[in-house]
Amino acid sequence: MTTSTAIDPVTVEIIRNALNSAADDMNATLIRSAYTPIIYECGDCVVALLDADHQVLGQSAGLPIFLGNLETCTLATEQRFGREVWRPGDVWILNDSYLGGTHLNDVTIFGPVFVDETLVGFTASRAHWIDVGSKDPGGSMDSISIFQEGLRLGPQKLISGGVEERAVIDTIGTNVRFPYPTTGDMHAMMACIQMGERRLQEIVRRFGLETLELARDEIFRQTELLERAVIAKIPDGVYSAEGVLDNDGIDLDTPIPIRLRITVAGEHIDFDVTESADQTVGPVNCGVSQAVSALRVGYKLLVSPDLPGNGGSFRSMTTQVREGSVLGARSPAACQWYFSHLGLLIDMVARALAPALSDRVAGASHGDSMIILSAGTDPRVGRDFVSLEATVGGWGAWNGSDGESALINNVNGSLKDIPIEVHETRYPWRITQYRIRPDSGGSGRWRGGNGVVREYEAQTDMSVSLWFERSRQPAWGLFGGEDAVGPEVVINPGRPDERRILKINGLAVRKGDVVRCASGGGGGYGDPTERSADDVRADVLDHNITAQAARARYGIGD
Amino acid sequence: MGRYRVAMDIGGTFTDVVTYDQQSGTFAATKASTTPGNLSEGVLSGLDAVVDEPSGIDFLVHGTTQGLNAFLERRGVPVLLLGTAGVEDTYHIARGPRTRLYDLHYRKPTPLVPRRDVLGIGGRIAADGTELTPLDEDAVREAARRARADGHGAIAVAFLFSYRNPAHELRAREILHEELGDDVTVSISHEAAKEWREYERTSSAVVEAYTGPIVRRYLLDLENRLAGRGLRVPLHVMQSSGGILTAESARRRPLQTLLSGPVGGAIAGAELSRQTGRPNLIGIDMGGTSFDVSLIVDGEPDVSAEAQLEGLPMLMSVVNIHTVGAGGGSVAWAEAGGLRVGPRSAGARPGPACYGRGGTEPTVTDANLVLGRIDPDGFAGGQMTLDTGLAATAVDGLAEMFGMTTTAMAEGICDVANSKMAQAIRTITVSRGIEPRDSALVAFGGAGPMHAVFLARELGIAETVVPRFPGAFSAWGMLQTQIRQDWTEPYFFLDQDLDVADMAAQLARMERDGLAALEHEGVSGNRRSASHAVDIRYAAQEYTLTVPLTGADEPNDPDFLPSVAQRFADLHKNRYGHANLGAPIEFVTLRTAAFGDLGRPEPQKWPAATSADFPYEIRTVVFDGTGRDTIVARRDDLFVGHTFDGPAVVIEDTATTVVPPDYAVSVDDIGSLVIRRKDSL
Repeated sequence: MTTSTAIDPVTVEIIRNALNSAADDMNATLIRSAYTPIIYECGDCVVALLDADHQVLGQSAGLPIFLGNLETCTLATEQRFGREVWRPGDVWILNDSYLGGTHLNDVTIFGPVFVDETLVGFTASRAHWIDVGSKDPGGSMDSISIFQEGLRLGPQKLISGGVEERAVIDTIGTNVRFPYPTTGDMHAMMACIQMGERRLQEIVRRFGLETLELARDEIFRQTELLERAVIAKIPDGVYSAEGVLDNDGIDLDTPIPIRLRITVAGEHIDFDVTESADQTVGPVNCGVSQAVSALRVGYKLLVSPDLPGNGGSFRSMTTQVREGSVLGARSPAACQWYFSHLGLLIDMVARALAPALSDRVAGASHGDSMIILSAGTDPRVGRDFVSLEATVGGWGAWNGSDGESALINNVNGSLKDIPIEVHETRYPWRITQYRIRPDSGGSGRWRGGNGVVREYEAQTDMSVSLWFERSRQPAWGLFGGEDAVGPEVVINPGRPDERRILKINGLAVRKGDVVRCASGGGGGYGDPTERSADDVRADVLDHNITAQAARARYGIGD
Repeated sequence: MGRYRVAMDIGGTFTDVVTYDQQSGTFAATKASTTPGNLSEGVLSGLDAVVDEPSGIDFLVHGTTQGLNAFLERRGVPVLLLGTAGVEDTYHIARGPRTRLYDLHYRKPTPLVPRRDVLGIGGRIAADGTELTPLDEDAVREAARRARADGHGAIAVAFLFSYRNPAHELRAREILHEELGDDVTVSISHEAAKEWREYERTSSAVVEAYTGPIVRRYLLDLENRLAGRGLRVPLHVMQSSGGILTAESARRRPLQTLLSGPVGGAIAGAELSRQTGRPNLIGIDMGGTSFDVSLIVDGEPDVSAEAQLEGLPMLMSVVNIHTVGAGGGSVAWAEAGGLRVGPRSAGARPGPACYGRGGTEPTVTDANLVLGRIDPDGFAGGQMTLDTGLAATAVDGLAEMFGMTTTAMAEGICDVANSKMAQAIRTITVSRGIEPRDSALVAFGGAGPMHAVFLARELGIAETVVPRFPGAFSAWGMLQTQIRQDWTEPYFFLDQDLDVADMAAQLARMERDGLAALEHEGVSGNRRSASHAVDIRYAAQEYTLTVPLTGADEPNDPDFLPSVAQRFADLHKNRYGHANLGAPIEFVTLRTAAFGDLGRPEPQKWPAATSADFPYEIRTVVFDGTGRDTIVARRDDLFVGHTFDGPAVVIEDTATTVVPPDYAVSVDDIGSLVIRRKDSL
């Protein structure tokens, strides 16, 4: 066995655990101090501890879509202002979509870490802010330029030499709709990176910088070795997949193709998405670094799901993203829904590599957040309300198990639905149906998970916006497993004014109107004729499929 | 009056029994084997070991794992679930989160009721409690027939907004009993958990229905057998909240006892905090396969209003126990040229290599044995002899891969395990907003005291306390508790809309109900008390904090609103690091806890040493890479006033305490070992 001789394995392992746990402490600080549920309950955040060369030393298992792109923020700052810009006691902020890659709501706060005048690293946190001053509260479905989407910052100093930049913080406060919780979340993020700073300083003081660097190299070497071993098992060759978004939310008739080409050579793997669509007028664009993150998530899900991420991760991986495409947006492309094609891309990585990693992949998932946003005045209390909900759906099956039903999509972390009792108490809606949608998962030897039906009856006049995706290409099956049924939203089902629609900004809804949202299922895996009759009958008993589907899809009668 | 107060803590392998002799004022601890097939047997034999005549018992409490085991092994009774028609899938949708984010193969926690056994029942209550659609009584009767035909042992009923208006749930239960007789278990959600959030409340009712009949049967059997042997006092049962209740009440509300097992340790920590004047404690309970951390903050155990078991939620008061994947059984292994310890455990079978049950991988217990930190003949009260040779062989295999000596590897395994446990404790304290340095560490469980001082060193904690009977600390804690019954009432009002007189009237009613219930528990009037609290949040926040009130009539105080807002802001600052006094706040839930004081044992003064000397031997134990002459003393030989320097090992029946070279030990006046750094003395 090859081990580094310059440092003993016990010290390496103690330092490895200390770095990972420093990141955990940062995450715990952020979650403990955050004001808004999207951070403290949904965990829509991520933290990282970096070394002085912007390599990841430790990272919490935060929102996957933010994986490994906090270092791009410190790097971009250094490239713009020079290495000498880093000063002890400074804290920086950035949310620029074309640097951070995401929409403006995702804000990164970071700072340098010094020990005795020496720059030893950086700490960084990113979290979703509920509002950054976009033209509509909480974000729009129909923005066509970044300038409609809110305040664009950075890189910019929030704290200089330990002193808060009051003017900057006031400017942020006056540009967002909910200044109190927003500045609260900002302070929580500052507390988080300061916790990371203390932890990294403690580690440097305890072990010495030289030992820390030796341990770091050994930790990175171990991670790289483990990842390379998995890639080496993938036969050399080209693996590709093509996916499509329904539209950009503005031009509803034009689909947006996303094309992925993976080339494996030995222990190296390259991801190329340059053939994807040009950037769009509507808000489905993202910056390059976010496309890289999505590809890394797809890679990590298949190659190293259980390894804590660090600077040794992704060393065997390269990416090609084209500037000016939907995955490499340039100013002033709108980026509010930056993640719809990223969720698709993550599913596509599994589809492309399915021939080589048949036991690790899964059929596609329902795929997007499936948003219903409503706003108006609640007549019961005479107060305005805004409600933003994601809808859960089905996930793909894999070799050995059916896919899960009614699960949040991959870019939304551990988001929970809003309980009906909370919803009806807070908002003037009645939820008349919330059930698992039978037959929506793709059939297969292993069946795709089902979506849900959630039906709302308006108790007053209000406005409703919708963002439901993946209807042109519902979740696909693998190895003979069938495709799932896609999403469907029906306004006033069965009434003369019945209307089907998936994306809209500000639809006027009247008291008594019904909005029935149905999310899609996940793809199946394997030939449905190989599914055992017992499993099919159990599915009928458990209402996962109807008796008709049992006959039609599996040839199993009662 | 009887002579003894007795507590029993039923663990997976052993039942710990602690008795307090009210005549002599002394405690005694013993162990009996747990009898998994029939837990009553183990309880009775444990009792026989310490008390001649059950009639001599004045007070008897036990923590049962009967319901928990049924849950964990999925041996509960088949449950039929009735939900509100149209939304009856709530239980299986389970709010839809993913808790492992890098998992393409994610499945939700397996629900206790399959979907085929969920029925939607017509009838709807609105958010304000008014009836929108009447209950479909025929559908309930049909459900009863289905339950009979399919052999469901229990029925859970969970309708929307039952916490605002329980009429449909109550009527459904009436019909089910009419159809199925009074013996069938019907658990209704607003009784299992009178709070909003339908998934969590439904899950609470389902867990109660699933485990309830088993807990009931067990308690009834045990009560009968104890009565048959002459026990004259009611049997008491530990609750997840840290309080106790009579077995009779526990049979009515079995959910409250589900997580009672590990709670005793936290209650014991609170009592130790009281007796020794240390407000903040971090309790570590380390066994063969588990490592549990509990916090005492300002003298109180850390309690929350929601618990999860294998991912399934329950709304009930529960003492927070943080389980960390570590323990004596954690396996050391190599990956890509790196050393790893855990999270995989060798468990009880095959267990560590030194158990001689076929395990070949080195574990933390093997490493401790190789270093001489465990007495091979005194493990688990001498009930087991450990094989040092097998341990050394296992550790040596790994040492060779890294080109290290066996002892260096053994110490490395312990160092890595200690650093991981310390980091886990640190993250728990950070989440709670506590600085570990401001607490003392209390070590219990068989393996806790072996690692505690190393953890204290990593965390910068000045004092480590090893109480008497560290292996039976939980049972000791159970002797210190009071009867507790919790009452909750949803109460949604923004501060600007609050009717303070109505709030006071609600609390007064809850206090009356609570005190009346204590009468059932056999608590006399002057020993009853009640405390009140209200859950508050900032308007539009999801999560609440429980803010204590001075009494049921506090809302009538003219300063009530500013004063409660200040209290909430203080708690918020303490818990979350910030607050916003003046922002609108929202009241969510009223809480009343009724307490019945059953008396508690006096702290037992431990005898003073008659001389500075005590018997010990010197053995070689490895610390910092070298074999050191180490004092090995018996706990029973140490008395108040004895002090000695590490390196040292203190052996007793239920645990081993390891003291590294730069630490010193003293014995306090209740017999605890107190271990501090030498240079701090």
